[in-house]
Amino acid sequence: MTATLYLPGASGVHRLNPLTKLTLALVAVVAGATLETLTVTVAVFVFGLVPLAVWGRILRPFLRICVRVVWPFAISLFPIQGFFAQGTTVLFTLGPFSLKAEGLWIATLLTARLLVGLGAATLLMLTTRPDVLMHSLVRHGLPAQVSYIVVASLQIIPGFQARAQAILDAQRSRGLETEGNLLRRLRALVPLVSPLILGSLMDLEERAIALEARAFTRRGPKTSLTEIRDPAWERALRWLLLLIMAGLIVVRLT
Amino acid sequence: MIEVHGFSFTYAGTATPALRDVDLKVPKGQLCAIVGPNGAGKSTLCYALAGFVPHFFRGELKGQVRVGDRNVPDTPLPELSGEIGLVFQNPFNQITGARFTVLEEVAFGLENLGVPRAEILDRANEALRLTGLGSLGDRSPYALSGGQQQRLAIASMLAMRPRLLVLDEPTSQLDPAGTEALFTHLSDLVSSGSMTVVLTEHKLEWVATFAHRAVVLAAGQIVADGEPREVLASPAMEALGIRPTYYTQAARAAVASGLAPDGRGRPLPVTLEQAAEFLRWR
Amino acid sequence: MEIKVEAVTFHYPSGVLALNEVNVTVGAGETVAVVGENGAGKTTLARHLNGLLRPQSGEVWIGDWNTRQKSVASLSRRVAYVFQNPDDQLFARTVWDEVAFGPRNLGGTPQQVETDVRAALERCGLQDAVGRHPYDLPAAERKFVAIAAALAMRTPVVILDEPTTGLDAGGVERLGALVEGLKQEGRTALTITHDLDFCAAHFERVVVMSEGRILGDGPARQVLREAALLQQAHVRPPQLIALAMALGFPTSPMTVPEFLADYRRYTSQRSSPQ
Repeated sequence: MTATLYLPGASGVHRLNPLTKLTLALVAVVAGATLETLTVTVAVFVFGLVPLAVWGRILRPFLRICVRVVWPFAISLFPIQGFFAQGTTVLFTLGPFSLKAEGLWIATLLTARLLVGLGAATLLMLTTRPDVLMHSLVRHGLPAQVSYIVVASLQIIPGFQARAQAILDAQRSRGLETEGNLLRRLRALVPLVSPLILGSLMDLEERAIALEARAFTRRGPKTSLTEIRDPAWERALRWLLLLIMAGLIVVRLT
Repeated sequence: MIEVHGFSFTYAGTATPALRDVDLKVPKGQLCAIVGPNGAGKSTLCYALAGFVPHFFRGELKGQVRVGDRNVPDTPLPELSGEIGLVFQNPFNQITGARFTVLEEVAFGLENLGVPRAEILDRANEALRLTGLGSLGDRSPYALSGGQQQRLAIASMLAMRPRLLVLDEPTSQLDPAGTEALFTHLSDLVSSGSMTVVLTEHKLEWVATFAHRAVVLAAGQIVADGEPREVLASPAMEALGIRPTYYTQAARAAVASGLAPDGRGRPLPVTLEQAAEFLRWR
Repeated sequence: MEIKVEAVTFHYPSGVLALNEVNVTVGAGETVAVVGENGAGKTTLARHLNGLLRPQSGEVWIGDWNTRQKSVASLSRRVAYVFQNPDDQLFARTVWDEVAFGPRNLGGTPQQVETDVRAALERCGLQDAVGRHPYDLPAAERKFVAIAAALAMRTPVVILDEPTTGLDAGGVERLGALVEGLKQEGRTALTITHDLDFCAAHFERVVVMSEGRILGDGPARQVLREAALLQQAHVRPPQLIALAMALGFPTSPMTVPEFLADYRRYTSQRSSPQ
């Protein structure tokens, strides 16, 4: 019942410290955003991310998600850039519009950049449990409350949806018409939204009490059941990656 | 274990006190049930024992609440958590959402208390075993039934080894099987000697079967206090809005018609076993 | 209004078989209690009766309407469903507006709506709470607001899903009086409940469900006496019947006076008391 993409596994990628994976993802996103040439961008994806996906034994879900998210953008990017970007190399004309090669090239670069950024994030999410990631961030100074909000939201959103469905069922059973013209649908919102918000607020209060009873607000050091290993080589790798990221940004800005 | 003396509480923004001049002493190792109609102040008393009244629910407080050697109203909530466990009606809202498995959910409180890792694992597993959830450690808390979720809430409290466990209408949303399981586990905990339990309950049959003591609360005051069978079968209950079990009603009717063998003088039954014994002809 | 459930089978998307060739017919004006342990299919069956669920095979008829052909909103003209959690529906600023929501949706004239709402509020003991915000009321009262909201729709069929949850003895009595009122009006009342004593006190017919099937269906007196059947469904008999069985009486007393009569009859047949 959790809204997470995580696929359990025992691969090397899974075992990496979550912060390392997060840093990798960040560097990949920055690389995707700053690299000028198509070749290099594609190389990052093909020789950087794909092997990591293979190592993580998640190649098929990884590719599936990348394709599924990127292709709607690609579908609109290509015609838009193709017809409206500046350029001189005309490939063919359609009435007043002409498809230019430069536009297609721009679309390809943008798609590649999107793939790299999205691929990195997907890689992170498929191999890292959100609570483990949050936990390592807390170890490095993230407030526990923020971590709680992120993780609990993932679990509570499905519950929220279930409640919304229960409210919808209850109001339909009282004669509320939810099909029909826009005005009718808008009017149907009030008896749906109000119990959702009020009910959620009441639940929040109870959950706050439950958290308090579990010593959540207690000051003092917290321990952890799950052990997250952070070997020296990974720490060194993270610094290196951050340097690369800084370098990419500097190069791009100058 | 528990000493409540002259305790009154009025919620902020209301005029009538929710509890008035309550005196209650609960010895260690007792399973004490609090019964009474809705609005009598049962929940308020539970929250007062756990410190949420007045720290979470503000209002005007008079009198004393001592649990163990703690003066509850004067102790900040974070210091009380772990010593006094609180379980309430809705099983779903007691799942923190911070952890993905049942074992981790139970360990959550211990992590917050800063307990060393090896000890966390032992205590969490023990708590799961005590509540009959031992085989469910790897499941998502959201995949459990309502009754199991309620036992998970109890396990989460037990792992912190509280001296007192307070439960506010814990079986309200459970079916009979879930209710029986819950009461059985509570009873086992208390008989092992390490725990005191205070709970509020409407289902009198279960109170009579499992509780050591019944305290009746009505309109913010304690009106009866004693052995469950005596208290719950007393004729004064009806006037307070507490309908006795059908077993009591049947026995009372039999005695009134002069039919019950040796009816006068014997305490009326509250449970099935007691009623069958009471009404059986030799 | 007759309800006919014909050979209904239903699987949830997860694959769980919730109803397995279920057949049941409820005549107009009957009071029926559906009992069984959690997961037996009681709520799934009830949700088929107002169109929230449609059978995958089989048919459900409410009078002459087939639920496959009607929307939930239109079925609400014939079937009012009181859900277990009133907080899943309360949204209006006053109790009056909350209870009037259903009748207004069904297109009643202002006068008709006023009459129906007033009658429902009185039936539920909420006349004095008319102007209050539903969330200012305690949880038990909110339950009655939800019930009033369903009653005001003046449907021939009323379904109550676990209505006794969270009520104290006074609340259960109020609820019982409500059910008797429905009987007098000739409305069909169907309840899902774990409270077998509530069931025995007010419902003439009992349907026992287990694992998606109907194990028993008949007059309450008969069904609640069948110890083996109830045990198979993991249901405990009502207190008085359990007591009668423990004492060896062959009867099913539904009220205390009935028990007393049985007690008088069967114990005077034995040897005199000590």
